[in-house]
Amino acid sequence: MKKTASSEEAMRQPFDRVRAYVDGKGEHTSFTDVVALAEITADSMQAFFESIDRSIYSELREIADYITNMRNEITQLRAGELKTDRIPKAGEHLGAIVMATEEATNSIMEAAEAMLAAEGEDEATYKALVNDKVMSIFEACSFQDITGQRIARVVETLENIENRIGRFAAAVQTKGEAAAEESERERRARELLLNGPQAKGVAIDQNDVDALFS
Amino acid sequence: MALNTAMPVLIVDDYSTMLRIIRNLLKQIGFEDVDEASDGSQALGKMREKSYGLVISDWNMEPMTGIELLREVRGDEALQRTPFIMVTAESKTENVILAKKAGVNNYIVKPFNAATLKTKIESVFGA
Repeated sequence: MKKTASSEEAMRQPFDRVRAYVDGKGEHTSFTDVVALAEITADSMQAFFESIDRSIYSELREIADYITNMRNEITQLRAGELKTDRIPKAGEHLGAIVMATEEATNSIMEAAEAMLAAEGEDEATYKALVNDKVMSIFEACSFQDITGQRIARVVETLENIENRIGRFAAAVQTKGEAAAEESERERRARELLLNGPQAKGVAIDQNDVDALFS
Repeated sequence: MALNTAMPVLIVDDYSTMLRIIRNLLKQIGFEDVDEASDGSQALGKMREKSYGLVISDWNMEPMTGIELLREVRGDEALQRTPFIMVTAESKTENVILAKKAGVNNYIVKPFNAATLKTKIESVFGA
């Protein structure tokens, strides 16, 4: 609890009053004097206890305000919505993106392989085959539009989470991050998996890699 | 010395499309005997059943990564001389050095083409 100037003064006051009473009495102190001293002390301590009450009340009020503020901020986080709606949906979008790109790549490669494998056919047949396979490639490339939309949704979710957490962090005035316990999966990812592909500037190119092997 | 394209090659990647791309590139170079594995542990199992002249592996795979596979291979008396090329989208200097220290023979950065793959394979075999 913080000691304020008024509480210190309230604490000093009874002793000053007792000293003044004793000084006035000289060396002889009777039972009546002792009772009078006790009355002075009890009377004077009243002010001290009142100042403590005010101080505790003020601090409890601050704590109550802080808790209310935190409760509002936690409500604003809408963690339930993130957990049950936004994050699972983002996961579904990402899974669908992986599947769509894989399917599209396989379709394109199948078409390319079919064209490469075309042998001994007359020109008209070969042209028809190429036309057909090129159309398949065009169709497969439509994945970009769909995955683009899905990626935009995931980015929107990430921005939403970032905003909510940023607001919460500002409200609780976090200065540093406590080190969270690392799971076995996270440890493996950190120690054994790579984080590529890197952005340009961070990555080195094939020539730089070759130089390390020369 | 001409490149021996008759040797069996094992390609390891957790993406079926990447396996397909590498298989096609190898076919373009002339390799016909190409097997696939989707992670390090599966690759290790295949290597213990069949003798491969070359392993081309991705790094990021689970449950066994490419670098773990490389260490297992180099630590296994029967497999340790198998040429090993790492193919990955990761190209930070420290990771290339890590792979080199673990005994990789060459390192290819994705994306790459048949010419790059051929050059790297040739350099591994001194062809």
